[in-house]
Amino acid sequence: MTIGLLPRGGLARRKLPGALVAAAALAGAYVVTLSGQITAPPTAAVTAASTDEFKQQVLPILSETCMTCHNGQEYAGQLNFEPFLQARADLRGSDLWSKVLEKLVTGEMPPATMGPLPAEQTAAMIGWIERTYGLSARTYDPATADPGRVTARRLNRVEYNNTIRDLLGVTLKPADEFPVDDSGYGFDNIGDVLTISPMLMEKYMRAARTVSKAAVFGEAYPSKPTLLIKLQPKKDQDDLPASGNVLPFSIRGALYGTYHFPVDGEYEFRWRYVNLRGGEVVVSNDTPAGRAGGAARPGRGAGAPSAPQPVPNAAAGAAAAVPAPTAGAVAPAGRGRISGPRPGPTADEQKARDERARRAVGPELMVFTLDGQKIYDFAVEGNNDYDYSRGESIARVKLTAGDHALRISWPGLADIEDATSQYGRDGRRKLYVDYLDIHGPFTPSKQPPAGFEKIFVCGAPGKYSDACARQIVEHLALRAYRRPPTSQELQRLLTIVRNVRKLDSFEEAIRVAIEAVLMSPNFLFRAEQDQPVTADAAASTPYRISDYELASRLSYFLWSSMPDDALFLAAKAGRLHEKAVLAAETSRMLGDPRAASLVDNFGEQWLNLRLMDRKKPDTLKFRAVDDELLDAMRTETRMFLTAIIRENRSVLDLIDGKFTFANGPLARYYGIPGVQGEDFRRVALDGQQRSGLVTQASILSISSYATRTSPVLRGKWVLDNLLGAGPPPPPDGIPALVTKDLGTAASMRQRLEQHRADPTCGACHNQMDPIGFSLENYDAAGAWRLKDGNFDIDSSGTLPNGQQINGASGLKVTLRRLSGAFAGHFADRLMTYALGRGLERSDRPALQQVTRDLAAGDYTFSSLVTAIVNSRPFQMRSRATIP
Amino acid sequence: MTKLSRRTVLRGLGATVALPFLDAMYPVFAAQAVKTALRPTRMAFLYVPNGIVMEDWTPAGGLGATPLVELPRISSALAPYRHDVMMLTGLTSNGGRALGDGAGDHGRAGAAYLTGVHPKKTSGKDIQAGISMDQIAAQHLEGKTKFASLELGCEEGIQGGNCDNGYSCAYSNSLAWRSPTSPMPPEVRPRAVFERLFGVVDDEPDPKRRQRLQSYQRSVLDVVLGDAQSLKSTLGGTDRQKVDEYLFAIRDIEKRIQQAERNHVPQMKAPMEAPSSSVPTDFTEHSRLMLDLLTLAFQTDQTRIVTVLMGIEQSPRNYPEIGITEGHHGLTHHQGDKAKIEKVRLINEYHIKQFTYLLDKLTAIKDGDGTLLDNSMIVYGSALADGNAHQHDNLPTVLAGRAGGRLKPGRHIRYANETPIANLYLSMLDRMGVPVDRLGDSSGRLEGLSDV
Repeated sequence: MTIGLLPRGGLARRKLPGALVAAAALAGAYVVTLSGQITAPPTAAVTAASTDEFKQQVLPILSETCMTCHNGQEYAGQLNFEPFLQARADLRGSDLWSKVLEKLVTGEMPPATMGPLPAEQTAAMIGWIERTYGLSARTYDPATADPGRVTARRLNRVEYNNTIRDLLGVTLKPADEFPVDDSGYGFDNIGDVLTISPMLMEKYMRAARTVSKAAVFGEAYPSKPTLLIKLQPKKDQDDLPASGNVLPFSIRGALYGTYHFPVDGEYEFRWRYVNLRGGEVVVSNDTPAGRAGGAARPGRGAGAPSAPQPVPNAAAGAAAAVPAPTAGAVAPAGRGRISGPRPGPTADEQKARDERARRAVGPELMVFTLDGQKIYDFAVEGNNDYDYSRGESIARVKLTAGDHALRISWPGLADIEDATSQYGRDGRRKLYVDYLDIHGPFTPSKQPPAGFEKIFVCGAPGKYSDACARQIVEHLALRAYRRPPTSQELQRLLTIVRNVRKLDSFEEAIRVAIEAVLMSPNFLFRAEQDQPVTADAAASTPYRISDYELASRLSYFLWSSMPDDALFLAAKAGRLHEKAVLAAETSRMLGDPRAASLVDNFGEQWLNLRLMDRKKPDTLKFRAVDDELLDAMRTETRMFLTAIIRENRSVLDLIDGKFTFANGPLARYYGIPGVQGEDFRRVALDGQQRSGLVTQASILSISSYATRTSPVLRGKWVLDNLLGAGPPPPPDGIPALVTKDLGTAASMRQRLEQHRADPTCGACHNQMDPIGFSLENYDAAGAWRLKDGNFDIDSSGTLPNGQQINGASGLKVTLRRLSGAFAGHFADRLMTYALGRGLERSDRPALQQVTRDLAAGDYTFSSLVTAIVNSRPFQMRSRATIP
Repeated sequence: MTKLSRRTVLRGLGATVALPFLDAMYPVFAAQAVKTALRPTRMAFLYVPNGIVMEDWTPAGGLGATPLVELPRISSALAPYRHDVMMLTGLTSNGGRALGDGAGDHGRAGAAYLTGVHPKKTSGKDIQAGISMDQIAAQHLEGKTKFASLELGCEEGIQGGNCDNGYSCAYSNSLAWRSPTSPMPPEVRPRAVFERLFGVVDDEPDPKRRQRLQSYQRSVLDVVLGDAQSLKSTLGGTDRQKVDEYLFAIRDIEKRIQQAERNHVPQMKAPMEAPSSSVPTDFTEHSRLMLDLLTLAFQTDQTRIVTVLMGIEQSPRNYPEIGITEGHHGLTHHQGDKAKIEKVRLINEYHIKQFTYLLDKLTAIKDGDGTLLDNSMIVYGSALADGNAHQHDNLPTVLAGRAGGRLKPGRHIRYANETPIANLYLSMLDRMGVPVDRLGDSSGRLEGLSDV
């Protein structure tokens, strides 16, 4: 892929002997090939005869037509054919000619403006290339190219969790404890590198046991209500608690996280909020004496609790307020005080002092939400004695089994100007949640677990016939193996059911069958039925995969999970591959909530966002950047991607879409006025400081060092991730950058200029650095700035082709101009993810077709998905030799 | 002395196993006859990423052996163990070099380290390294202990995104390779390691029911073995390889179950409390828990071979534990910046402290006439020397322990530069009773390791 950013002289350092510059440019010195490798020009069988043929047949065409643009002056596509004319170049190196062949076959060259070559000229060129380099034009025809063979894909961690959720209704996430899946080509769903070690197999065994139990009998939970977990936030950004259940650090004192509840029932939440004061010492005057409590002094301390709030249904209507004695009305304060004589002010004086303190600042509303719904709130008032550090707030809620998002915070603090110096509006209170205990379950549901009906599709407890057993097992195996089981597979499972039934209940027998299903390679792998190479069908004769296999390819592409009933039905009817059916299913699937996995898995990996888990801006330098703000940055990018997908927007909006999503703290960080509170909302942008991925703080910070920006890293990030035109890696044994003594007064720009002065370095840095410089108005944590230390920011740069880029908006103009390259690369990434394998040269025609379809579809996300789904590599498979 | 079965001991002692084991318990698994050979030799590797600041690591001494007296700053943490360790200089991991494959030194370094081969450059397709030396030993000693080997880690593998310049993350996420195409990813959760060694904490309490569940499990294994065989017969190419990998893992578990039944070895009671199910965020806490578990695994003879990936190559980890808020990998590319080099030194010193913690543990445990360390070979090292320059020769290497008297520590041995580090592995394998002629690019055995 050539994008016009590429330097001219940059190839010299690779010293390709005798090879023409143009050939090298195409061979991949700068153009990373599809396999991600730099291909050295192979030696081809160029004979005297073929050289003669070249001179007589091919060279005239090159000279007459191609060199109009591919000459030493215009250098279109970094390609110059003139050296052939001057007989300065030799013909070795098939890479150039395979490219030429491809362009000719796909009709990409000559461009429309030139008009097509006469048919006999095209034939002459194709014939010469095919004969000389042993290539075949068929390879480049989207209608005949090799569709490839994806290696059987083991379910990765996310897919495993999602699949057991959809198969059995089990929302446990056992795969979170599996080892990290190795990735390749940028993604962790690549069959070639998804391996199974004995350790992983042990984990599969355990998971199969746990999951089958949960599916049939429900998850394990304590027989009596008990403390299930103590959640605590980190106390500062670099807090390293040795163990325990640690939640992110919030400068505004919030506690937030997700917890998995084992069973439908009531749960009690007990939390304590405390404060920092006087040299940031934590007040936690939680002495046994204090707990034992003397006479409580009602009306003191944090003041009378606010009236019990009507508690709305949480968890999408599933939870309801519980009129328990402790619910809502909680007196967190006062009960820890010991009455009796003590030195100090008299009771009246104390009362007056407390009253002054209470009036000094307004109350701050503390809110507890579950899945975004308010469960409880309470106005925390000024309090001289910080009595609230001694008591717990309590709320009891009825919840469904599964994950629920919890949050306790003071939403008003989301709108304070500078959280580092004045969290707590009085500058004194600095409230934070110390811990949250979850107790339960109270009155757990006796109903069978959610997935029970997915499994026991016939009969009733105590009344299961043999025929029903067969039906249950067949239904289970079909969905777990994502195809009808063979009679042998079915028999094996039925034998188990029969044997267990001799000793145990029917339910237990089915549970053991589920255990076997979850351990079976038919479940753990997505293996596609191979069609053998035969005398009649060579490996190069591909075949269409079955409709069941197509259903799985679709569902794991768009949902990272198994097909649903509708897909299975279409597959069973043998109609899924029909164009109209496939289109309807694809569009239905994109509208399904499960399509969020495209953001979780594809988006986060494409942009390298998962790096945020382990790479954070320096805490000393960026004090305002707490975990909560970092999470907000990531949320912004995720919501932005979601909007592109959900609203079926143009993927070019990723470059400069004039909208984003922000909550109060993030909006203030960006300097966007008018956004208040903790909730995210859509924000229109003017594009001056922010718009598009490259100016989102998430991207700006992962492409920086912890303490400072790096124009090099940012330039490389843009080239790698947005244009797929990453420069080649630094040469072997790169010498350490010898910094002439520029002194500390030198700016980053001066240092890098010195760097580029070295031609070895300049070749690539001339590309990367100007892009990075255009983003210099954003610091290493993504905040806008006009100065870097003492230096004024200069966000201009000049690309190797002489083009100026001024600031981020200039960069976006450039990216827009390169929208063809951007769209092509985006298609390459999504197709790699969809196929679960690296793209090969033989996939190029399909990729180009997909890219053309994307452009023809106004670059909408769904047109890209549809093009991929309709491509040969997605629907077909080449044969294999089966021993 | 009469041989006691482990069960007898367990019964005699009730719930807890007295540690260390009684002499008479050997051989439970092993079949050696000679008394002096009864103490098994254990072997472990502790791998640190991104190289070490070598000028503050290498002790004085020319070619050949020099007594270990003065230790430079980073290795000075080893001073209390001067008589128990050997420092080796001049060893090279040539497979980690470019050899025409361009950039990607970190990705290659990790995969080349214990395999001695030059890993194939690929982002995924046809991934290929070699069998690592620990796995050669594990395959040879299989059946002698519950686990042929354990793979531990203190940093989770890189998830998604790109690893090193055209190298799949598989190359840097694992040290151990069971076959050239099958890496063995490390376990990073202390609780999971604990449960592998000492059983699941919340397992079925009713012994009758537990037994029944075990019989079901055997039926389950039969079913899935059948499924795998059927599936395999219909597949070609790399798909077949994947099913083979599956079959190997299933059979490995099967063998372990059979062995436990044959030897009537009950699940051992844990001599320590089960660690929290969450992974500690503090590196000291995390690594020490892992090293405690390593020690226990050796002590209870559940395995004799352990690899510990203290950090993965290109680790971006920062160490606020010691006040370092910048990422390790970024710092090692210091390009001469003195402040950065100092931070790298601090990280190097911090890492080696965890190694000496392990030495503390191993020397505190009596094993035969000596200590556990005396009967072990523990290598601490990195596949890069200077991380800034991606230097693959002169690798920082410490060999601790005496291998039951077959090593003579207390010295610094300098080999001719470019001596393959695989030569060290051959010498170690000899001492594990695993004679191997060649491993990767080995050219012979290291001389002088046991010279008097």
